Amino acid sequence: MPIRVILADDHPLTRAGIAEFLKRESTLELIGEAEDGLGAWQMIQEMKPDVALLDIRMPGFDGIAIAQKIKEAKIPTAAVMLTSYDAQRYVMASLRAGARGFILKTVTPKELTSAITTVNKGGFYLDPEAASVMGEREFVPEQLSTREHEVLLLAAKGLSSKEVAAKLFISERTVQTHLASIYDKLGSRNKTEALLLSLKYGVLSLEELLED
Amino acid sequence: MCLILPLSLALVVAVFAMIGQERAMEATVRSYVQTLADNMSFRLNADFERYDNSDLEAFLAPMSHYPVFSWGLSIPGWVAYVNKDGSVLLSSPGVHDISGIWRHNLPIGSAVQVFDHSGDRYTVAVSPVTYGYVVAAVAWRELLGGVMRDEIWLGLIFFVILIGTAWAINRMWRRLFSPLSELANEIDRLRMGKDVPNEIDGASVIEIERIHKALTLFAAAAIERNKLHNYYVQNTVKDQEKERIDVAREIHDGPLQDVTALLQHIRIAVEDGSDVRERIKKTERLAMAVVRELRGLCDELAPPWMELGVADALTELAERLSQNYDIDITTEVVQQTPPLDLGAERNLSLLRIFQEAVSNAVRHGDATKVQGRLFVEGDSRAVFEITDNGKGFDPGVDHEILRLDGHRGLANMTERMALMGGTFQVKSTSAGGTCIRCVLNNAFEKSA
Repeated sequence: MPIRVILADDHPLTRAGIAEFLKRESTLELIGEAEDGLGAWQMIQEMKPDVALLDIRMPGFDGIAIAQKIKEAKIPTAAVMLTSYDAQRYVMASLRAGARGFILKTVTPKELTSAITTVNKGGFYLDPEAASVMGEREFVPEQLSTREHEVLLLAAKGLSSKEVAAKLFISERTVQTHLASIYDKLGSRNKTEALLLSLKYGVLSLEELLED
Repeated sequence: MCLILPLSLALVVAVFAMIGQERAMEATVRSYVQTLADNMSFRLNADFERYDNSDLEAFLAPMSHYPVFSWGLSIPGWVAYVNKDGSVLLSSPGVHDISGIWRHNLPIGSAVQVFDHSGDRYTVAVSPVTYGYVVAAVAWRELLGGVMRDEIWLGLIFFVILIGTAWAINRMWRRLFSPLSELANEIDRLRMGKDVPNEIDGASVIEIERIHKALTLFAAAAIERNKLHNYYVQNTVKDQEKERIDVAREIHDGPLQDVTALLQHIRIAVEDGSDVRERIKKTERLAMAVVRELRGLCDELAPPWMELGVADALTELAERLSQNYDIDITTEVVQQTPPLDLGAERNLSLLRIFQEAVSNAVRHGDATKVQGRLFVEGDSRAVFEITDNGKGFDPGVDHEILRLDGHRGLANMTERMALMGGTFQVKSTSAGGTCIRCVLNNAFEKSA
């Protein structure tokens, strides 16, 4: 049974291009196209597709808002962001909103298929172009301590160092020390990279991230 | 007006007082001369009865021993014994001829005023006596002195009032009306932002001088503001033009070259026919490069990730800058409930300030660590602090001078904050480290 996909993008040429990719793939079935956020949300509610490819910038709701709505309505659709922007914070914002994937519009057909298949199986997929740290490299991260894991998870949920410190009853300086050690262990240069790498290496799971 | 009113009032009061006093004096003098005349006639009559009164000459001789005839009166006036024709028989010293005031119809027993040929005033009383009359008189001219004789003083007072009024009107004209109308004309002619008012000549009242001074200050301020405005407009236009030129150059040197190359590869593929696959692969790589360049350009012009909210946007910016400059740059936004939402414009301003601060810290301060922190202070104040570990500088330096030298960073940051109704402070010492503190009041107000 092919994977049922809907595509939402307000740019007709891009939509046509991506749709062309999808139609060529026999394992995928494009069951609907929307040109704005409202249409996309309606389609998702009615059709409950397996995967929704959502542009981030759209009239009506943006892609991240729709991912949030899918999460809140507990609809079994995997949201995948499809965007022109390569900002890593978009990736983080999307993942926090419940998106399972983040791909750029310059994606190759092979990568697109791979992304859709991955998220449909419950995994998550990040475009290496958007999250450069996600590229292929052989690296086995050092095990994080329990405390470091806690710090990383809270930071991933968007808490500031001060708030993490308050929540764990430790000083802000200690939080900074933990973060520095985490960066080192994961081989990241900053917080966003650390979060993305921890997801990649399975140090954190998307489910953990989405827990309240 | 302030001069003429009290002056006139004082004069009027003085006139009334003088008229009253003159009346009282007149009554006194009248009663005095009447008493004097009656008294003398009584004495003379009594003397006549005692002496043989057939010989007038013999009778008169001893009469001259009366002090009024031998010494005169203690006040300016005289007493005379006249026959029925008015010829003087006996009199106070110095009085020989009273024909000037003598009238046949002078009433007896009641003092009257009489004017002589030269217009001098007398109060005269007549009392009958054997062979004639006793006439007593007081000369007002001598009684009151030169000024008060006749009604000269009334005319004098009137004259003084006239002169005073003329003087006051003249002064009022020169010091009030004339400067006021000059000032009004000046205001009519004045082009705010272009002229300063002329000096008003002559002395005017202090109030007008103060108004004129205030007007001069306003006009000077308007000119200053105008100049500043023109300067900013010129600057803005210059900046805009420069930015257009920069963007055009970047598009020209980047995407335009790449797309041209892309086009050439497609044409070769179409015309050549061989190695089509290989050539298309090349064009794909070129197209990817164009996309990256355009993405970068978009990020530079107006970061699309701005819409993620201030915390994510700042983090993204910090991470990008950190990679560009290869130094440690972090930001932190202390979360609030409800979350701090400054709105897109203010977010962008804070981002630009951070960008500028990092650039300054790296280029001028050789900083290796920059930290941005956004937090809420009090009920409604948002504070954005940027600290670095650079060399620091003298913060007393004038931003305008720096700007004129082409260093616009500090002035731009100050202006951005001022536009949002906030304040911008730099704390730095030559000893090292700089802390920039941006304070936004009313951070929770959407409209700002």
